[in-house]
Amino acid sequence: MKGGKRREARPLELFLDQTVVVLLGGFVVLMAFAKPSFLEWSNLQNILTDVSIYGVVASGMTILIICGEFDLSVSSQYMWAQILFITLLNATNNMFVSVILTLCSGLVLGIINGIIVTRFRINSFITTLGTMTMIRGLCLVFTGGKMVSTQNPLIKALGTADFFGLSFFFLVFIVVLAVLSVMLAYTNFGRRVYATGGNIEVAHLAGINTAFQKTAAFSIMGVLCGIAGILLVAQLRAGSTQYGTDLALTCVAATVIGGTRLSGGAGNTLRTALGMLLIVVLYKALIYLGLQAYYQNLVKGIVLILVVMFDLAVSKRRVLSR
Amino acid sequence: MGSTMLAQENDFRNLGTRITRLLRSRGVLIGLVLIIIVASIVEPAFLTASNVLNILRQASALGIVCLGVTFVMMTGGMDLSVGSVLSLCSVVAVSFMNKYGQAPGSNGTALMAFLAVIVIGFAVGIVNGSIITILKGRLGETFIITYGMEIVVASLALLYTRGQFVPGTFGTGLYEKAGMGFTPIICFLFLALVMHVVLAYTGFGKQISFIGANMDCARMSGLKVGQLRVITYGICGVCAGIASVIVSSRVYSASPLQGTGYELDAIAAVMVGGTSQSGGTGGILNTILGVLVLGVLGNALNVLGVDANAQLLFRGAIILIAVGLDMWNTIALHKEAAR
Repeated sequence: MKGGKRREARPLELFLDQTVVVLLGGFVVLMAFAKPSFLEWSNLQNILTDVSIYGVVASGMTILIICGEFDLSVSSQYMWAQILFITLLNATNNMFVSVILTLCSGLVLGIINGIIVTRFRINSFITTLGTMTMIRGLCLVFTGGKMVSTQNPLIKALGTADFFGLSFFFLVFIVVLAVLSVMLAYTNFGRRVYATGGNIEVAHLAGINTAFQKTAAFSIMGVLCGIAGILLVAQLRAGSTQYGTDLALTCVAATVIGGTRLSGGAGNTLRTALGMLLIVVLYKALIYLGLQAYYQNLVKGIVLILVVMFDLAVSKRRVLSR
Repeated sequence: MGSTMLAQENDFRNLGTRITRLLRSRGVLIGLVLIIIVASIVEPAFLTASNVLNILRQASALGIVCLGVTFVMMTGGMDLSVGSVLSLCSVVAVSFMNKYGQAPGSNGTALMAFLAVIVIGFAVGIVNGSIITILKGRLGETFIITYGMEIVVASLALLYTRGQFVPGTFGTGLYEKAGMGFTPIICFLFLALVMHVVLAYTGFGKQISFIGANMDCARMSGLKVGQLRVITYGICGVCAGIASVIVSSRVYSASPLQGTGYELDAIAAVMVGGTSQSGGTGGILNTILGVLVLGVLGNALNVLGVDANAQLLFRGAIILIAVGLDMWNTIALHKEAAR
C-alpha cells in the first residue's frame, strides 16, 4: 500500500483467485460440447449425491485443517458408522434411536482422537493412522469382513425421496454446509478455530483453550463421519469395510483444491465444497467419456498435483506482491 | 539413623526415576523383548530357527522401504508414493524377466531388471523431490504431492499390465534367488548398514538431519536444500524399487496392487522406531527396531492364532503406544534440560 493508495486488483489476479470455479466451468462447457447428455438432470443428480456424501466429511476435514490438524481415520470412522447404523436399525427398528446412537459413537471416536492428539501431544497424522487401523480392525471383527444390509422401509424411502427435484443427501449436505460455514465465519468458536490454526502459541497466549478447539474440531469430524455413514446407508442400504477406503485422502484433496492451506489458519468450507464438486465432476466426466478406470486415476492424480502447484504459486505471488 | 533412612528413600526415588527413564527412552525395545518372551512361552514354535528366519525374511522387504522413508522423514517430509512405486517396479521387472529371462540361469537379464527398478524408483523420487522443491513445500505439501504421485504411479502400474496379475514364468537365476533363503535379510542388513553410516557419519547425512530440524536455518546456512531434498526422495524411490525385487521374487509373480498399504506400514514402522515426523531426530537404527517390532508382533499374533482382523487392533495400539512413549520421552528430556 505505497503512498496510501489502494492497488487495484488486476484481471489476471481475479482470474487466478477463482481457479477452481474457472476449471469447473471449463469442464462443464467442454463436456456439454463433447457429450450433451452429461448435463441431463439425472446425471447431475448423481454427481450431487456423490458430492454430498463425501462433501459432508470434507467440510469437517476443512475445519480440522484450518485448526492445524489432520484426520486419516475418517475412512474407518465412516465404515464404522455404516456398520453400527445398520446393526442398530436391524436390531431396534427405530430410526431415531439408531441415528442418535450412531452420531454419539462418532462423537466419542472424535473425542478420543482429539484427546490423544492434544493430551499426549502425538502428531495427528500418526494418531489417526493408529486409530484408523484400530477402528478398521473393530469393523472387521464386528462383521467378520462380511457386508451388512438392511431392508428398513423408512431408510429406503429416504434414499429415494425427492424434495422439489433435490435428493435427501443434497439437502443434508446443504444444511451441514450452512451450519458449518456460519459457525466458522460468524461465531467466536469459528474465530478461535482460525486463531488456533494460524499461530497456536499466539492463540494460547491470547487465552484461547487451543486443546479444546482441536478436540472440538475432531469431534465435529466424528459426528460428520457418522452423518456421512448414515447417508451412504440411505443410498445403498448396505454397509461394508470396502466402502470409502479413499475417503480421507479425497477429502484432503478437495480441501486443498478448494484453497485451504495445509499449514492451517485459512480457508473455508464453501470452497472445499467447490473442490469436491470439481473432483467428482472430473471423475464422472472421465467415466462419461469412456476412459478406463486406470486413466481416470491417472488424470485424477495429475490434476491434484497441478492444482496444488498452481495454488501455491498463486498464493506465493500474492505474498510477494504485498 | 534418620539420615540413612533419607538416603534409602532417595535411593528408592532414584531407582524409580531411573526405571521411568528407562521405560520411556527404551520402551519400544522393552516392548519387543516382552512380545518375544510372551510369545515363546505360550507357543514354543515361535522361537524356532525357521520361524525367526521367516520373520526376518518377511520384515526385510518392508524394512528396505522403511530405510528410504526414514531418509525422507529425517528431512521433515513424507513419501506416500512408495507403495505404488513398489507395484510398478515389480510388474515391470517380472514382465521383463518373463520376456527375456526364460532360460535357466539368466543372470544378465536379472541384472538388467535390477537396473530397471532402480531407474524407475529413482525417476519417480526425482519427480517427487523436484515438485516439492519448486514449491518449497513443507510437510503438508510433501504429503499431498506424494499422494498425487501415488495415484499416478498406481494407475501406470495398472495400465502397464491392463489390470492383470503377472505370474512368474522366468527361469532360475539371480532374480529367482533374490527372495529366497538369507538373501533378503543380507540385502536389508547391508543396505541398513550403508544408510546408517551415510546418515550418521557423513556430511550429507548431517545436512539431511539439519534440513529436518530447521529448514529455514539450513537454507540460510548455505545448504543446497532443494538439491539435497531431491536426492533424498530419489533414494527413497530406489529403496522401494529394490524392495519390489524381493517381494516379487518371494511370491514369484507380480501384481499391480502388490505395494498397496506399504506406504502407511512404512511410515508406521519408522515412527514406532522413534524417528519423529517433524524431522531431524531419529535414524536408521530406530527404523530397524520399528520394523522388527511390527514384524515380530504380526508373526507372534499369527503363531498365537489371533484372528487377522483382530490383529489390526493390536497393530494400531502398538503404533499409538510407541509414539506416545517417544513423545513422553521428548517432553521429559526438555523438562530436564530446562531444570
